[in-house]
Amino acid sequence: MTCNCVDAPVPPLFGVQTLFAAQHTSESCGANGLPLTPNSITILGRAQKLRTLNHPNLVLHLDFIRKQHGRIILVSQYFKRSLWTETNNYLLLLPLEKVLSWTHRVLDALTYLNSNGVVHRFLTPQYILFDDEDNVKLFNYGLYYMTNSGKNITFPIGKLKYTAPEVLVLDRDSYKSGPKTDSWSLGIIVLELLLGAQLWPTLKLSQIIRKILSLTHCTDVVMRLAREMGRLTMYQSLPDELKDFLGKCICMDVKKRLCPKELFHHKIFSAYEYSKILMNKCYSCKHPLRQMKLDQVYYLWKLAGGDVEWALKKKGLLRNESPILLLPRLIILEGTLYGNTRNQSSLLDLQIVELPLDLLVNRLQHLKITDYDPLIDQVNKQNDTTEKLPLVIREKDTEYQFRRIILFDRLLAAFPFKLDKLLIEAKKDIPPFFRGEVWACLLNVCGDTESIYMSIDKETAGVTDRQIEVDIPRCHQYNDLLSSSVAHKKLKRVLKAWLVSHPKYVYWQGLDSLCAPFVYLNFCKEHVSYACLTAFVKKYLNDVFLKDNAAVIREYLIKLSHLIAFHDPQLANHLDEKGFIPDLFAIPWFLTMFSHVFPLHKIFHLWDKLLLGDSSYPLFVGLSILTQLRSTLLNSGFNECILLFSDLPEVDIEKCVLESSKFNDATPRSITFRKYELRTETREYDPCLMYEVLQNEFSPRISIYDLVELKSSSLKFLVLDTRPQEFYIEKSIPGSLNIHVREEDLVDENFDLAPCPELSALVNNRGSILIVVDNVFELNKVRSFCRFLVKKEYPKVCSLHGGIEALENFNILVPAIMY
Amino acid sequence: MNGTKDYDKKYQETFRYTFATLKIPESYIIEVPVDIPFEGSVNELSHRIINGFNLPLYVIEELSSELQKFIDKSSIEVYNRQTVEAIDCIKNETIEVEDIVKYWEKAFKEETFSFTDNKGPSNDQLFASAFHKLAHSGPSLDAILHIEYGYAQAVQDIMCRKSRQVKSLTKTQTEEMNYAMDGLNNYSTEEDINALALKHFDDQTLIQGKWNSRLDTLKQEQRTGYREWVMKSVEEMQGVDGLYSPIGNSPVGVVANGFTISNMSLYDMEESFTIHLGSQMKSTHNIRIMSADTLNLLRLTLHENGTVVHHPQRLQTVLELYSQDLKGLILFIDTNNLDFYSGLAKEFFDICEGSTEFHFNSLQDQLEIIKSDLKVAVENRKYKGPVSNFLSPELQARRNKSKLLQCGDVYITKHSNLASVHLVFHMVIDDSLKSGDINSRHPVILGLRNILKTACSYDITMITIPLFLTHEMTEDMTVPWCQKRAELVLKCVKGFMIESVSLGGSELKTIQFLVPKGISEEVFGILATMVPTIFRVSTPLVFKSSETEINSQIKNKKNTKNKRNSSSK
Repeated sequence: MTCNCVDAPVPPLFGVQTLFAAQHTSESCGANGLPLTPNSITILGRAQKLRTLNHPNLVLHLDFIRKQHGRIILVSQYFKRSLWTETNNYLLLLPLEKVLSWTHRVLDALTYLNSNGVVHRFLTPQYILFDDEDNVKLFNYGLYYMTNSGKNITFPIGKLKYTAPEVLVLDRDSYKSGPKTDSWSLGIIVLELLLGAQLWPTLKLSQIIRKILSLTHCTDVVMRLAREMGRLTMYQSLPDELKDFLGKCICMDVKKRLCPKELFHHKIFSAYEYSKILMNKCYSCKHPLRQMKLDQVYYLWKLAGGDVEWALKKKGLLRNESPILLLPRLIILEGTLYGNTRNQSSLLDLQIVELPLDLLVNRLQHLKITDYDPLIDQVNKQNDTTEKLPLVIREKDTEYQFRRIILFDRLLAAFPFKLDKLLIEAKKDIPPFFRGEVWACLLNVCGDTESIYMSIDKETAGVTDRQIEVDIPRCHQYNDLLSSSVAHKKLKRVLKAWLVSHPKYVYWQGLDSLCAPFVYLNFCKEHVSYACLTAFVKKYLNDVFLKDNAAVIREYLIKLSHLIAFHDPQLANHLDEKGFIPDLFAIPWFLTMFSHVFPLHKIFHLWDKLLLGDSSYPLFVGLSILTQLRSTLLNSGFNECILLFSDLPEVDIEKCVLESSKFNDATPRSITFRKYELRTETREYDPCLMYEVLQNEFSPRISIYDLVELKSSSLKFLVLDTRPQEFYIEKSIPGSLNIHVREEDLVDENFDLAPCPELSALVNNRGSILIVVDNVFELNKVRSFCRFLVKKEYPKVCSLHGGIEALENFNILVPAIMY
Repeated sequence: MNGTKDYDKKYQETFRYTFATLKIPESYIIEVPVDIPFEGSVNELSHRIINGFNLPLYVIEELSSELQKFIDKSSIEVYNRQTVEAIDCIKNETIEVEDIVKYWEKAFKEETFSFTDNKGPSNDQLFASAFHKLAHSGPSLDAILHIEYGYAQAVQDIMCRKSRQVKSLTKTQTEEMNYAMDGLNNYSTEEDINALALKHFDDQTLIQGKWNSRLDTLKQEQRTGYREWVMKSVEEMQGVDGLYSPIGNSPVGVVANGFTISNMSLYDMEESFTIHLGSQMKSTHNIRIMSADTLNLLRLTLHENGTVVHHPQRLQTVLELYSQDLKGLILFIDTNNLDFYSGLAKEFFDICEGSTEFHFNSLQDQLEIIKSDLKVAVENRKYKGPVSNFLSPELQARRNKSKLLQCGDVYITKHSNLASVHLVFHMVIDDSLKSGDINSRHPVILGLRNILKTACSYDITMITIPLFLTHEMTEDMTVPWCQKRAELVLKCVKGFMIESVSLGGSELKTIQFLVPKGISEEVFGILATMVPTIFRVSTPLVFKSSETEINSQIKNKKNTKNKRNSSSK
């Protein structure tokens, strides 16, 4: 039982290292003719897998950062105590039980790594760390894996004296090392530990290499090494099982050398009862931060101003030589550089710099212990001024994010229980730390998505493979992670899985962009990205990916036109006059839900809102983008408009999100009703029409249900009855306004309404929703009248779907009283 | 590391799975080839096998555990085989032990900090950091500029005296020669004249040599003095923190008159644009198009209405010398033997030699080193054969044969004594550039690409490119020619800029396009309007708050009006 205390000191929990990726030689292209991906990006992509590794005897990898000129920064969990410090540089002889217990833990960790396809290759006593409770934590195990077995770097991996002899040959020819190379290294480390001496402490580099190579000629390698260490008698006094164990590690005949998994079950570990050794228990006070997940603490530390680069700089690991001194002197046309000086600071220096957490602790100092463990239902009681700040600021506020992380951590753990609460909180904002998971919840992704995804064949060649392969290297490639080859592979797999599991649909260009945000957010969980994509397409892009999707897309675009006419008649008139229809610019918007138009960080904020809205929400987003460009559009002709959209100027996304939700609130649902959207049922009077019909209308239709609903809502509206007065008197909607127009009149360009009390009432109600009603057979008249009203720049004009006749069943028609 | 040919070597092993049901008397044997080392998901492969062979789903668990075992076993076998081969290699010495030793020793010594021989910064780097610190510490910058100015004056002085003496000598020599010529066959013979000419030549050489050596000595003294002063000043500065004025111990003593910095624009005409590149993620860059004399961008002092004034950008250049913001200029050279004897090259040479180079080798020495680099390059080119994907085979073959620099090759010289740049890219050109129809595969354009790529890897953030790929206006350069050339260069540079964004180096913040002096305003106008059509100019930031206010006011007015209407009704 440990006690938690907010005043307890927090020791540094993270360590940071830096290294350089190899540079490509001058003129090299990939197989697809595109320039080669920089090695640093390849490393970054591969390294992501390491973040998923979780084993009690491995340190956690927290972050991989790519910097200019191929620099990579690694952030991982770190502990000060290592095998090296514990044994006082091997001067200390440790009890056999302790050594065995540690060795067993290391083997456990190695087995886990091997089963995940990772080989350590950098085992040294310095990289076997111990936490406060003396648990073994293996460090630096990812270096060999993420550099693709050393392919993407120029420096050698491993410490020479612990390196197995075959590695010296194989590494040179870039063969991948197998798990048994780690057995060798571990064997040497254990031997050193047992004999309490260092192997070849004073030998020079070349001598060590020669020594290792010469080992191939001797029969009993362990004996020879013990002799070289001057501890032969000590070695001989070791128990036989132990000698056998060492012999199975350090063995020239590789068939007799065991791999870590087999060594783990060696009889030596059952022969000795090491489990009884007292572990170093920690009873002191612990800061509640240490109860939090490490990646959360790291995230908050960064928000609190933690700067990895600065920490490195302070230790002199980030010094940059003046570039002018490194410049080449000659650049041959073929691209080869001559006379450039090697940057000394790009040499490998794997010093570990600890990151002090003081900044974060100070920032959170005033929090009470209960803030770390609140009751979820009480969280919203606090009135925080931060909530009113702009989103970008909230996302950078340490304390605010701290509370959000604590809250969402619990809500997500409870999912799908507490979904309502999750929705309320997500409406406020979605913490970036949990975005991937929250999105999955919002899209209702649950169940065993992993095995569903597993069972889909993503390897067999398909017809669209070529197109996918062409598109992926052009999809959000400014993003480091997405431009890595690992990401390309993942994108391709997810896309193919979706295509295979949806035989009805085909690959349309743009699906890749749609997929990218999900793959980015769930980088190591392909199945979640797949499930999210599936749910997303179903909800927002139902049937858009049909082979013949003309009808669906058409309808979508017409709905956008209607929406423009509904909210911004002036703009609608202008665009109509110039003949600039949404088909010319909005197809990629909706086909990719704007993911082709905006960079990732903007898509995130946009989709945060989009996912909370219904399937017509994208239309409002489109409208709000147009509103932002409004003044430019109003002053542009057709050509300028085309140019404007061919390379869209910066759009303020936060404003866009705010406005779109305003538009959403001010629009009755049936205005954006689409025939092809996914819905559970279509009611009788829903405006479910073919796009050919819609095409001829300038203003949208409203359904009777919405009309009825409007009556009880706070939205202002006015019904315009255009039938002749006698019909109006006989039966009409209460509160409606009778302006009789004839179809013939509307043909006239210069037609205008004659001044009358009804007209002034109409003028007074400018801004309310205007619903034009007539007999159902007077369709053309209603259309023209709507168009006329829009021309007069009346906003929110719509017509009643089904005409006055539809209302018969609703019992709301009454005889009108004329004044 | 070495080659990558064997790197991704995979071994294909056949996985066999026997499957029997009650209905079938015999059992099926399924064979699937599997790549070893296996990368991927065993589970997924099992599913594929089941789907592919139409097996019942219930075998999945058995199948995947079988498959897992098989893969584990085969991987171990593959690694074992590799290891055995490797160890045999060492044992039987089929691989030279010394090779391995050398390889590893080299790898550790050249790539890791703990084994490298030359730890710590080089002398140049030490001086660089010292100078950088000094230049960025308030009053010292002033001192640096004063000293540089004083030293440059001293050099100018000697050069003036030299040219004066050479001039007067030439004058006397001409007179003597004329006199001798006049009296040919009268009081002098041909031999006399020859002897005289020889003597004159010797005198000339002597006097040139005398002055040159004097100049060299002066420059050497200046350089040593300057560098010592910098190091000393930095040391002292660290001693006394805060207020430190290095002017006191300046090696030139007190420089009386300060300098006048030119406030006249260096450019006859200029126009600047802020542009965006990229479709989703946009990066911002500056583009400037200007008409100016190329060399005036480099001269430390300019003559303005008869008085000597200083280049306005010099201050910035000094501050940024060792920073991560370098400035470069492209100069086109039509000779390919690294000689600076005529034309623009000669003028450039004179500018460089007009003051002492305190930081780098003198231009002459830099060129000598480049010559030796060229020898290596030529050797490589000869043996390695074609390497570029962009060059035609004929051109490549021609290039491989040549021992000289060719069109499109670039050499770089570094300078601390030029006004607005730190380094100059000298690109070799030939006559083909004069023609109107060069395309994006022309060596000069490819050379341009190499330059921009290099700029990205070495923190060169501003580059000046002659827009027409030439420094002077000639008769052939008609308006359509100019337009066409400008379009080509702008478009290619745009492409290279987009490409360089993905390289992960420094960003090209500013690109300046230089148009020769003397271009007509009209043509310049055409070129300036071309930039926004090729690059996407960023839209200016518009403050909307006032606008909405006005709108709401109008609305209010309307509302009141409406109200009045309704009340009147």
